[in-house]
Amino acid sequence: MSSIDRRQFLERMLALGGTALATATFLSLLSCSKEPTPEPPSDNTTPPPPPPGNAAYLAVARGESSATLPTTLVQRSISAIGGIERFVKPGNDVIIKPNICGSGRTPEYASTTNPEVVAALVALCLGAGAKRVRVMDFPFSGTPNDAYNNSGIAEAVRAAGGEMEVMTSMKFQDTPIPNGKAITSCRVYTDIVETDVLIDVPIAKHHSDTVLTLGMKNMMGVVSNPQSYHTADMAERVTDLNTLARPHLVVVDAIRILMKNGPTGGKLEWVKQTNTIITSHDIVAADSYGATLFGKTALDVPIVLAGARRGLGTMDLSSIKIEEIAA
Amino acid sequence: MASKKRSSRWRWIRRSVQILVLALFLYLLIGNRVGATTLLPDDLFFHLNPLTGLSAMLAEKRFIAPMLLGLLTIGLTLVLGRVWCSWICPLGTLLDWTNLRRRYRNALGHLSQWRQVKYLVLFAVLFAALLGTLSLAILDPITILFRTVTSGVLPGLNSLTTWTETRLYRFDSLQGFLDGFDRFIRGHLLPAAEPYFIPSLVLLAFFIGILALNAIRPRFWCRYVCPLGGLLGLVSRVSLVRRSVDQEKCNSCRRCARECPVNAIDSEKDYAADPAECTLCLKCVENCPTRAIAVRPQPQPAEPELEGLTRRQVLGSFGVMLAGVALLRLAPLLRGSEQRRLRPPGTSEDDVTKKCIRCGVCVNICPTRAIHPSGTGADYDGVWTPMLVPRLGYCDYICNRCGQVCPTGAIPNLPLPEKQQTVIGRAEIDENRCIPWSQSVNCIVCQEMCPLVEKAIELDDVTVANSDGLETIVRRPRVIIDRCIGCGLCEHQCPVNGEAAIRVYPDDGEVQQRRRSRA
Repeated sequence: MSSIDRRQFLERMLALGGTALATATFLSLLSCSKEPTPEPPSDNTTPPPPPPGNAAYLAVARGESSATLPTTLVQRSISAIGGIERFVKPGNDVIIKPNICGSGRTPEYASTTNPEVVAALVALCLGAGAKRVRVMDFPFSGTPNDAYNNSGIAEAVRAAGGEMEVMTSMKFQDTPIPNGKAITSCRVYTDIVETDVLIDVPIAKHHSDTVLTLGMKNMMGVVSNPQSYHTADMAERVTDLNTLARPHLVVVDAIRILMKNGPTGGKLEWVKQTNTIITSHDIVAADSYGATLFGKTALDVPIVLAGARRGLGTMDLSSIKIEEIAA
Repeated sequence: MASKKRSSRWRWIRRSVQILVLALFLYLLIGNRVGATTLLPDDLFFHLNPLTGLSAMLAEKRFIAPMLLGLLTIGLTLVLGRVWCSWICPLGTLLDWTNLRRRYRNALGHLSQWRQVKYLVLFAVLFAALLGTLSLAILDPITILFRTVTSGVLPGLNSLTTWTETRLYRFDSLQGFLDGFDRFIRGHLLPAAEPYFIPSLVLLAFFIGILALNAIRPRFWCRYVCPLGGLLGLVSRVSLVRRSVDQEKCNSCRRCARECPVNAIDSEKDYAADPAECTLCLKCVENCPTRAIAVRPQPQPAEPELEGLTRRQVLGSFGVMLAGVALLRLAPLLRGSEQRRLRPPGTSEDDVTKKCIRCGVCVNICPTRAIHPSGTGADYDGVWTPMLVPRLGYCDYICNRCGQVCPTGAIPNLPLPEKQQTVIGRAEIDENRCIPWSQSVNCIVCQEMCPLVEKAIELDDVTVANSDGLETIVRRPRVIIDRCIGCGLCEHQCPVNGEAAIRVYPDDGEVQQRRRSRA
């Protein structure tokens, strides 16, 4: 039988205590390590700069239904606002954020973004020399992979050479919102904030609470707790989030739009074929134009109105150069 | 030296087989969890297991075809004896590896009377099954290991990984490595996105308890308690291949008796091994200095069992079970706790008691983590049966995987369109907690989320006084009971802190009636 004397006992206790202390110090270092502030622009709520040269501020492309129509509309509307090279430089890391809100509907029900539109954007970005193009969303129902597959987006994106990324827990980090009004921080997906180019690709659809879901509302899919935004000051909260996660390019998918019972829909009779793509660097302008497809204006959509008031962009469609394209 | 060579050869063969089988077990379990297609059926081990097969068929008094695979195991045992226990059983393998004692201390003595316990446990399991409850299937070794890994080990591993990753991700220099690590591990070892889980400490403690029994005697569980070991022990009494000792060569060194991990060798009886106990691990063959021990086919049956069961004991265990089942069935008295017993789609309470072997395959596969092993939250009869906990996870509208994998059909394999109309429960709004109802502030999360085409939650615009006493219009959610299928997405996503303001309750007659009388 081995027994220890007092000296040994004390030595062991000391060693044990030292180890515990070191571990605790290490762990506390981890938890209070400095937040890597993602270097926000000096003022997040300045309106976006005007487009270079004589490119349009906003482009709307329309056409007759055909298999290649979504791709054509995306290409032509983007070239009207200065071409993809205006946004994507060679070697850039690009994230495309479509609306893949759940796994329960296939694309024809117009509750998720049109897969062809997303694929066309992936191809454009890669063509402009992007290092990698990732596509992601944080669905509220169903697993991400089920949602990616059922929306048809996974297949289309892979065929175009892009990657689907499941938004992983570790990258949702508490991040301060310097210009926040209703919320001063949020748990946002870091890559969305840090990426070279962020492209917001909402599908234009009805929403039971926010009237419509467009580009600004679509950015709710980059935080881990979107439910908590549904409060009295929802419009302000979503605007706060948009000051942090600011897309460089907004492409509103209105190939098919959901006219009622959004955001999930589920009947083809609620879907309208509008064969339209709206592009702009200005999220408020793009959303304002999107509202007109439903016979509304930005004044009817609280989130867009709040964004305009905050200076995220302009909702006055008469003050900007709009190019209409018939394809 | 020849014997040394031979000995290490057998040891390595057995160890390799054990590792391969354990790896296969974990591969099927993890493949099932992350939704990968596996080479073999996910529930292979449950079908190979004659105990779960036999008890499920007894309980239900119905023939379950895939369970016939268990006959393979019985056949193997008839030929080779209890090889399952030291070559195949993944729990046995772990118990082999967790023997804390460097040398088996059979000198500690026999505990021979304890051996019969496993037969009593076996008969208890089978009698209980005959009486229509599979509660005791929780004692089956395969279900024990599966449940522990799926509800204890993997969720723990997942939350530990997420916790560590999230903290380390704040360091820019580590992000590249973490990206790669995360991509490697999610979707392969851990699910792509793992939501919340009840920490199943009870299950872990149960498992650790079984490992800890090794401290009393090596492989205590296998020797004395395991009902599957008991069943295979009964069969192996008449097995063909057995151990024999060449009395000419034996020099009575007692080494075999000392080394035997299950203490099957009796030095008083010419070092013969009890065929019901011997697991053919070949340790004695490896270690015999005179090579007196051989394992070979022996056409004549073994001598009468060295230690056996009396009729009285068998009858006794039946009596105990009768009383036990009666006590378990007291549960309906616990009405209160039954209120929230939501079962997987299409599963009735009767199915659960009679068909569910508590294996945890449904818990493991549910991609949205709606299904959790019930504690006594159900009742004592239904311990560790699958229960839906919508606040933690909801039943995904386009998923019917639990029915596809259930090895006994306790959860029916419903085609998706049918599953989408199967009522799990009905949602009720708690007007005292619901934001629009209690604070006159808009919140439509439950309505927005409802996956049904004809949503089971509708919004009413109502003019009310807000907290400042001013008239305001608020949109209040209202449940259309007849549409609701109880998937629980609304309860899961309800933004109220703590208990949700909309909750799913089982759709028994009483709840229905209460609703109608209120309406």
